[in-house]
Amino acid sequence: MARFLLKRTAFALITLVLLSMIVFATAQLLPGNVGRNVLGGFADQRSVDLLNHQLGVDRPVYVQYGRWVGHLVHGDLGQSLEYKVSVSSLLGPALLNSLKLAALAFVLVVPLSILGGIVAALRQARTTDRVITVGGLSLTAVPEFVTAIVLIVIFGVAFKVLPTTAQAPPGAGFFTQVEYLLLPAFALVAVLFGYIARITRAGVIEALDADYTRTAFLKGLDTPTILRRHVLRNALLPTIAVVATQTGYLIGGLVVIETLFNYPGIGQRILIAAQNKDFTMLEAGVLIVGIVYLAATLIADTLYSLLNPRIRYGAAD
Amino acid sequence: MDRETRREFEAYRRIEAGPVENTLIDELLDGEVDRKEFFRRATLFGLSASAIAGALAALGEAPIAFAAPEAVRAGGRLRVAIIPPPTKSLDPHTYADQGGLETGGIAGEFLTRATQSLTLLPELATSWKPNARASSWTFKLRPNVKFQNGKTMTADDVVATYKRLLGPDSGALSAFKGVLSASGIKKIDNLTVRFDLDTPTASFPYLTSSTTYQAIILPANYQNGTFEKTPQTTGAFQLTSYTPGVGAKYDRFPGWWNGRPPLDGVDVTYYSDDAAVTAALLGGQVDLIGQVQFATARPLFSNPNVQIFATRGATHRQVPMRVDLHNQLSDRRVRQAIALTLDRPRIIKTLFDNRADIGNDSPFAPVYPSTNKTVAQRHKDLRLAKQLMAAAGFSRGFAITLTTEKTGEIPQLAQIIQQSVKAIGIKMTLKILTATAYFAGSQTGGPGGLGNTPWLNTPMNITDWGHRAVPNVLLNSALQTGGVWNAAHYSNKRYDALVKSYTGAIALKDQLKYSKQIETILLRDTPVIFPYFYNYLAAGSKRVKGYKADALGQVYLSKTSLG
Repeated sequence: MARFLLKRTAFALITLVLLSMIVFATAQLLPGNVGRNVLGGFADQRSVDLLNHQLGVDRPVYVQYGRWVGHLVHGDLGQSLEYKVSVSSLLGPALLNSLKLAALAFVLVVPLSILGGIVAALRQARTTDRVITVGGLSLTAVPEFVTAIVLIVIFGVAFKVLPTTAQAPPGAGFFTQVEYLLLPAFALVAVLFGYIARITRAGVIEALDADYTRTAFLKGLDTPTILRRHVLRNALLPTIAVVATQTGYLIGGLVVIETLFNYPGIGQRILIAAQNKDFTMLEAGVLIVGIVYLAATLIADTLYSLLNPRIRYGAAD
Repeated sequence: MDRETRREFEAYRRIEAGPVENTLIDELLDGEVDRKEFFRRATLFGLSASAIAGALAALGEAPIAFAAPEAVRAGGRLRVAIIPPPTKSLDPHTYADQGGLETGGIAGEFLTRATQSLTLLPELATSWKPNARASSWTFKLRPNVKFQNGKTMTADDVVATYKRLLGPDSGALSAFKGVLSASGIKKIDNLTVRFDLDTPTASFPYLTSSTTYQAIILPANYQNGTFEKTPQTTGAFQLTSYTPGVGAKYDRFPGWWNGRPPLDGVDVTYYSDDAAVTAALLGGQVDLIGQVQFATARPLFSNPNVQIFATRGATHRQVPMRVDLHNQLSDRRVRQAIALTLDRPRIIKTLFDNRADIGNDSPFAPVYPSTNKTVAQRHKDLRLAKQLMAAAGFSRGFAITLTTEKTGEIPQLAQIIQQSVKAIGIKMTLKILTATAYFAGSQTGGPGGLGNTPWLNTPMNITDWGHRAVPNVLLNSALQTGGVWNAAHYSNKRYDALVKSYTGAIALKDQLKYSKQIETILLRDTPVIFPYFYNYLAAGSKRVKGYKADALGQVYLSKTSLG
């Protein structure tokens, strides 16, 4: 098991290095000039060149990359080119905000959709199954901005039971923060429920049909025990993989939800950095989201292997 | 007027009033300007309240009555939404966007403040006075004004602020270029500053007002990059915390020179999406939105719980057509024909529900008193447009690209123009960029002298322009030979000379004489289409009292309260 984890971690680190190169190279590809963008259209070329020199962006790309990585390993993400403050002072709170929203969405959607999937599988081809699968799929098919607007209009504007913006006033307690995050979390639940529930349903149906399940029934075990010990343990494997990949999306990919609910998360920071060519912020933001993705995948792999000895032993061979 | 008052007034005219003041008073006595216009011009030229009252009394007018202030409920914090957020750090002299000017303007003050009716109120200056040619202006400063860092404001601070506004990183160069140079800013004594101008400019005090939103008075030792961290303006509210892209907090400044504002403080939240900010007001998360657009916030306009603050102004869109590219657009008949395809009354009905004035293809907006309204308005005339196209040799039309930005109603205007010019055979392709991409690049150097930024170098485009209290910046920067924002690359010596005469003209009848000629030339040459000038709109909940929308978008809250 330790060896398996070590191997996975090593792979994650290699991926991270590759990711940092891709992020850096992509930012270089964006059109426009850093100094010009900071100083504005009226600045003369000399001061633009001077600033570019001071920022070091006139040096060869590999030198810039080396410097950037050097600062990164010392925990220095650099200065935002546009706002002239440290990137970590902006991305830190943004990441925290994103984690809060993701956590709430996760807590709501995972049990709900797994339960939905199991119920649908057990009532296969009956009305309950149809309602869950068709309803879930319809919700997933509706774009998140439509779901979000509908939720805002109904709960925020018409009935005024929940705030339309996701950011709680400063100093708000835990429950107030949850209250502010409920609408965007519901919007995310709507996006993810159908997908996760379907995967769970398929896994459960497959496990119910499996020989070992039939054997378990035949040897007289009661249904809850069979479900718990034989069906779910096998059925949830694909679900875990899916949930893990969605975690990355929940933290770094919520630009639309964050914009509509005016929530200062990391997705919005990255978007604005890309629009304003704020390279340092853009690179650090994408890298952080990448790390979150990798961490989520690593955790999922570990869980997967705990539930499935075949992976563990296969890796140890 | 009793004999005593008349004697005092005559003495004022003989001894105190200079030629400028006497010109103004003559205009009023001769009936060339009405009472309202006299009042506006008197504030511009710095006439004292007693001189204004004396002149009005001389004409048998009732003296000016100031309404008793409304009783207000003190206390509470106003939640303001600003859209979009500032994109750069907050040093006032560098402001170039709506988010920056609104954020800084809540805390900052100017020498003078422009009101909705285009009059000027004394703010950090108490009075101002021109010489006979309006080429030199002397400003008396308000004594005992405290900065929020505890220092007392003196002439040194004003001189340093204005020198900063003329520096290379200033956002106000378009306003001051050719008007004021650093050597012309002089400290006379501790509370007097004189501006010796490069060109006589009768409207100079407007350039010191809140409409030059970069001109917030700061301490002489102001350091770039400290606006966000240390409160150091003079206004009713001080900036106590700021998070880029997220929000800002302001508290009442106890040392404010003008007493105590009703609000305890202001909490600003930045928005970047129209739907989100609309929902926030309707859902009760904010009290006031600094700027709304009819095109993108329609639900607010029909909601009984929302009040719309509207101010007539000169905010507009320009559609420049490059005159120097040796393509079809270099023929002025083609440019006229394009302008003639637009059904302007329908455009302002569609885009603004008529909260706009129709433009006549010059910067002279109907709101300006110096706009000569005897010049005929251009109407849609397809027959004439087709004749002009045929005369130019393009009766079968041609293809052209119009580049613009995704801002407010501009994409819709672009589509309307695209549809309209079809009638004269022009196949227009639209290239709609993000505002960032549209304004990216340099604005100086390069073959045309205007850098490589799309908004100054594409054959035809649409650009958003803010309100100005007088049309001077628009006449200079956008249309004069070598103007820094001359996107049409227009050059006409006669026009340049007329603008100079107009700028120096003191009497309204002289200004009207020149504006008529300028308007006529611009209609003939049509380097730029000015389709409309729209009202500045803000929106708030019914709890907001004592707020007035500013035509430029300043969020001025010292009289605002929560009911």
